[in-house]
Amino acid sequence: MAKNLSGDLQVASANRLADGMVVFLDAAGQWTERLDRADIARNKQVADILLERARAESFTVVDPFLVAVIEDEEGRIEPLSLREKIRASGLTFAAIAAEAVRYA
Amino acid sequence: MPDAHFYSYDDFDRRLVAERVEQFRDQVRRRLAGELTEDQFKPLRLTNGLYLQLHAYMLRIAIPYGTLSSRQLRKLAEISRKYDRGYGHFTTRQNLQLHWIKLEQAPDAIAALAEVDMHSIQTSGNCVRNTTADHFAGAAADEIEDPRVWCEIVRQWSTLHPEFSFLPRKFKIAITGSPNDRAAVRVHDIGLRLWRNDRGEVGFEVIVGGGLGRTPMIGKTLREFLPKDEMLAYLEAALRVYNRYGRRDNLFKARIKILVHEIGVEKMREEVEAEYESMKDSALKLSPDTIEAIAQHFAPPPLRPKRTLVPEVEALKLEDRNFALWLKSNVAPHRVAGHAIVTASLKPAGAPPGDASAAQMEGVADIADAYSYSEIRVSHEQNLVLPHVAVEDLPAVYRALDKLGFAEANIGKITDIIACPGLDYCALANARSIPVAQRISNHFAALARQHDIGDLKIKISGCINACGHHHVGHIGILGVDKNGVELYQISLGGDVDFGHTALGTILGPAVPAEKVVEAVDALVTTYLEARAEGERFVDTYRRIGAQPFKDRVYATV
Ligand code: HEM
Ligand code: SF4
Repeated sequence: MAKNLSGDLQVASANRLADGMVVFLDAAGQWTERLDRADIARNKQVADILLERARAESFTVVDPFLVAVIEDEEGRIEPLSLREKIRASGLTFAAIAAEAVRYA
Repeated sequence: MPDAHFYSYDDFDRRLVAERVEQFRDQVRRRLAGELTEDQFKPLRLTNGLYLQLHAYMLRIAIPYGTLSSRQLRKLAEISRKYDRGYGHFTTRQNLQLHWIKLEQAPDAIAALAEVDMHSIQTSGNCVRNTTADHFAGAAADEIEDPRVWCEIVRQWSTLHPEFSFLPRKFKIAITGSPNDRAAVRVHDIGLRLWRNDRGEVGFEVIVGGGLGRTPMIGKTLREFLPKDEMLAYLEAALRVYNRYGRRDNLFKARIKILVHEIGVEKMREEVEAEYESMKDSALKLSPDTIEAIAQHFAPPPLRPKRTLVPEVEALKLEDRNFALWLKSNVAPHRVAGHAIVTASLKPAGAPPGDASAAQMEGVADIADAYSYSEIRVSHEQNLVLPHVAVEDLPAVYRALDKLGFAEANIGKITDIIACPGLDYCALANARSIPVAQRISNHFAALARQHDIGDLKIKISGCINACGHHHVGHIGILGVDKNGVELYQISLGGDVDFGHTALGTILGPAVPAEKVVEAVDALVTTYLEARAEGERFVDTYRRIGAQPFKDRVYATV
């Protein structure tokens, strides 16, 4: 189990306006689908600034907010809550595939 | 080309929907260009049934009274393939939800819907929502009259009704034309039940103030017998009273069920009857011509009585045990001899309940063309129905459905689970629903055992909004969140059958996700040991009470 080694970590997330996909704000101020590219705020003060930046960059996304994450020994981050885990990595079951069932 | 025996849009409907599509296209363009803020845009997309969920937009498409033509179902398949991920989710409100629509493409998807006289208007917001009906309407052996005629009248009256576009809260109506209520009329804002009185006249019992969600309530009878031609005027009166007195100050107290609960059904009746007195001879009184004109759209297909005993069917019954079970659980009596109503189970073992791929939708459309007069129904239990199948065609229909994975002989059984989208999709969820349903489904997959267990309805919701109808499940399962951990509260004894409608009672402390299957297994074992001859799970529960079930479950988990 990953441990929270670095205190109260946060990333900024939102849904992309054009297609609704989950995105995270990176250090360059771009929205990316990859959580591992997200800019991490390591304390409350920086988190407030991160959220301000996210709001300033919100022309192409809907309602940015902060997501609490944990970081493991190798620096991999993962959201704390199940809800945000699911947002970051998708459905927890295999959705039916469009052509899964072919018929004669 | 309009479909035979389906309601098709007239010019008014068509123009209205076309205008809405173009309006929405322009609104989306302005939003994407930054000319509209999200706050300005959100209500606009919601009135077109476009929600933003956890990880994508979701389009909710109304399927009026659950009736689809094969042409419409093929179009839904095409839309899901072209604009979504190639599958859709049939819901408990006879809607289809596409969970991965892109905002940029939503206007095209809605335009494609309009090509087959469908839309997503009024699937959100504080208006009269899609009116639902018995999914066996027009076919059931026990039916008095086809309720869809009345659903269509309600649809025409309520679509963009100026007075009722900003009700205190959303408003859901369901209509059944059979004594065996398959439309859950006692858990809707208004439920209408057609019945025949002593004098042989057919009219409506008007039921008001039912609902699930945070404050579940069983609807109460507002009017025992309402002549059919007075339906609209009476509904209008009821909605006016609600519009006047319904609470707008508190979201959680705004539904009509709270109003009825607070003032009492007698007072509600007094108010509605007084309002009605002033308008019952108004233009809303339905003329026989109007009713007849709409009824024509629902004229039954030209079925002729056929032989009921077909050697091939009888032979296959002996040969193929699954077919024999399927005949028992998935095939219902039709009102024309030699015909049957077939339910295609969208609950194959371990699958997400109610999901169908584009190829599966097309497959069902093909079967409907070949064997069911091109008609398909969507049930509130998240299955598809072929309403007019000749008994002699049952083996062919069974084989065709089997190829699609939709011939599971489990209708009404423990794996015919209703589940809301839950935390895998829904922004409001506390916990997941679909994976829980999948685990229960896998655990009880053996068909012979399911049939031995008999009728047992499991209904799962991921939060108190109760989209999965957990309150009325024989076994209800509600996801709750405790410090970030998914727990599931189990309730027993809920029922939507007419005359037995009841809300379930919570069994005890919520159980962890990984113990839900064991808990359900303990409930089933308790029932199997205690049941008397002919008793269903819920009957045994009513007879012996919660304690034996409780003891077993909490000794297990
Ligand atoms: C995953 C997508 C869904 C979203 C985003 C969603 C959205 C909502 C929202 C926002 C509410 C709260 C009440 C409101 O403001 O309207 C609600 C409640 C509800 N929704 Fe859903 N919903 C979803 C799926 C479903 C499904 C699948 C059904 C069933 C067919 C459904 C039927 C209902 C019902 C019955 C309620 C409770 C209403 C009551 O008080 O009786 N929803 N939903
Ligand atoms: S019951 Fe709750 S979790 Fe399930 S779909 Fe409805 S709002 Fe979402």
